[in-house]
Amino acid sequence: MALKFEVLGKFNRARAARLSLPHFVCQTPLFMPVGTQGTIKGLTNNQLEEIGCQIILGNTYHLALRPGAELIDDLGGLHKFMNWKRALLTDSGGFQMVSLLHLADITEQGVTFQSPVDAKPMLLTPEESIQIQNKIGADIIMALDDVVKTTITGPRIEEAMYRTLRWIDRCIVAHKRPDEQNLFGIVQGGLDPVLRDICVRGLVDRNLPGYAIGGLSGGEDKDSFWRVVAQCTAALPEDKPRYVMGVGYPLDLVVCSALGADMYDCVYPTRTARFGTALIPEGLLKLKNQAMANDEHPIDPTCLCMVCRNYTRAYLHCIVTKDPMGSQLVSYHNLSYMMRLSKDLHTSIVEGRFPEFVQGFLRVQFPKGDIPEWVCNAMEVAGIDVSTCCAP
Amino acid sequence: MPVGTQGTIKGLTNNQLEEIGCQIILGNTYHLALRPSAELIDDLGGLHKFMNWKRALLTDSGGFQMVSLLHLADITEQGVTFQFPVDGKPMLLTPEESIQIQNKIGADIIMALDDVVKTTITGPRIEEAMYRTLRWIDRCIAAHKRPDAQNLFGIVQGGLDPVLRDICVRGLVDRNLPGYAIGGLAGGEDKDSFWRVVAQCTAALPEDKPRYVMGVGYPLDIVVCSALGADMYDCVYPTRTARFGTALVPEGVLRLKNQAMANDERPIDSTCTCMVCRNYTRAYLHCLVTKDAMGSQLVSYHNLSYMMRLSKDLHTSLVEGQFPEFVRGFLRAQFPKGNVPEWVCNAMEVAGVDISTCCAPITS
Repeated sequence: MALKFEVLGKFNRARAARLSLPHFVCQTPLFMPVGTQGTIKGLTNNQLEEIGCQIILGNTYHLALRPGAELIDDLGGLHKFMNWKRALLTDSGGFQMVSLLHLADITEQGVTFQSPVDAKPMLLTPEESIQIQNKIGADIIMALDDVVKTTITGPRIEEAMYRTLRWIDRCIVAHKRPDEQNLFGIVQGGLDPVLRDICVRGLVDRNLPGYAIGGLSGGEDKDSFWRVVAQCTAALPEDKPRYVMGVGYPLDLVVCSALGADMYDCVYPTRTARFGTALIPEGLLKLKNQAMANDEHPIDPTCLCMVCRNYTRAYLHCIVTKDPMGSQLVSYHNLSYMMRLSKDLHTSIVEGRFPEFVQGFLRVQFPKGDIPEWVCNAMEVAGIDVSTCCAP
Repeated sequence: MPVGTQGTIKGLTNNQLEEIGCQIILGNTYHLALRPSAELIDDLGGLHKFMNWKRALLTDSGGFQMVSLLHLADITEQGVTFQFPVDGKPMLLTPEESIQIQNKIGADIIMALDDVVKTTITGPRIEEAMYRTLRWIDRCIAAHKRPDAQNLFGIVQGGLDPVLRDICVRGLVDRNLPGYAIGGLAGGEDKDSFWRVVAQCTAALPEDKPRYVMGVGYPLDIVVCSALGADMYDCVYPTRTARFGTALVPEGVLRLKNQAMANDERPIDSTCTCMVCRNYTRAYLHCLVTKDAMGSQLVSYHNLSYMMRLSKDLHTSLVEGQFPEFVRGFLRAQFPKGNVPEWVCNAMEVAGVDISTCCAPITS
């Protein structure tokens, strides 16, 4: 194991922790920007450090395509290649393969697909995925799992869950650098609590450094979503990090943190920035809206990021979707927002005011008190009183 | 001056522009008038405030874009008629209108609307354009409502014809403007003609006012024009070439897309201290250029840093009495085999800068 996870504060299921990784000591709950191919679109390393980014996710599939795992290894690993001094996490490559390559097929061996470069048939096995990730050298690496969409039903879900358990053993055997890289297992099982339970127990038996809750954020209804998260966080070990993959929206981060999750990743903040949408306490600010054309406020007057200190909505309105600078600046703000949210979650738990933080967050997002029912239900399980935020 | 077309230098924040030592940015009046429009900029307190750029700004007249971008544009004595790109409506940009728009934008330096023709054209059109430019400068001067806040520069036209250029220079100098630009170049003319026009104009323009060679350009061109007495330059080249993965280095250009870059762990330029050269390798940039917007951003940052450093070196070497040495060092790095182009040798002779040690001996 190459990490230390120390819980510094709790409120019911929510916890704030110090996660010490080989390259950086992180505070959880935390959000990881997705740096697909060794870069977060639009932000330099200095800017990422400026906004308080602790750990970035790299997509193994994209990195293996360009520039290639061999090259990254020859040049000393991804940290050195990108010159990123803090922590890195790589995923297994499996998800992209399944979501991007419609000719992909999953067998017991691994994921077979057509190489996008030359259409040659390729096979990504658990062994291969770990080998590539060993070359890339991230602090946290993800097991290759058999992931199915939560909107699918039927025997495929069960098959995928059991295969995920068989594959974790192959991943563990293939992992050549356990003292430097932490292999996380991924809980699958769709929306079926029985399957999820079997998977959790199977992974916990392998005594891994950390665990992810996978297969969510794929279109399932929110009510099912939170229940799976709640079940898994209740069953996973207290003293190890829990990572909900593909989350997400700020509201989802707050709910999952209340339920006991620690780590998140999503392309949403940067992707929505490229469409001119900024994240603010009230929800979203659509900068392309005509009303923004002469609005001299910053995106968010409560935000201290470089963009909010230097640029107006009017200026950003002018450039979003028309000039790459628009994407760059709104991405910078949106990631600052996510970093600030992460920090606020951590600090409010440590300082014993987590419920107040949650209430404040919800009041700003739902000033009319129209909090979605799934949030109310989740908060009830989390033991957080949000009654004052809900309209009578 | 980097070109900030529509109120932004593609890829760099204001902080980064200040970091690299950028002093003044060019804004294109045509693009700004289209989006977000001069009215809005004026309502919001001018372009400086709108962009939050604390240093200097220069706007061009809008004329060049209109002629180069809109093939249905037509120039008459009134002004430039064109089809408005948004709705196809016929529009007219007059000298008065151009100055009015630029007054609203509020830049430190504004450019007269000139009748600019390509240097590759020949015939009576060039003479017509030169005289019209002189008639229009008077209309620009009359229309200019903020001479205490904004400096109106005249633009010397006349193609490659020394007689026409001379008439134009003298006509503009008579108007006693705050500064002068040499226009109509950097449009495809041969380099020999290019430097001669610059040399003629700089010799004839007043000593005590700035001289701006529009649309220049390549680092070599800037060094030559500075040796000949020019002071200011603008070009999209450094940022545009960055977007194609080409970095500016003392030796010339570095094509980051080249396969040889794929595992090259050096920075773009080991003599460069910019943020990109201090943080990223050629191998990393090779991986991004033309594939990820970050590639353009980082190479643009470096290329503009390079141009800022070149500007600073030109200024400092002149102040410190080491200009010839600087020129020689520059040429030696760019032409290590001594194959300095003839036009450069000719220009440097006129400039009185001895570069014989940079040129390989002529073998017969």
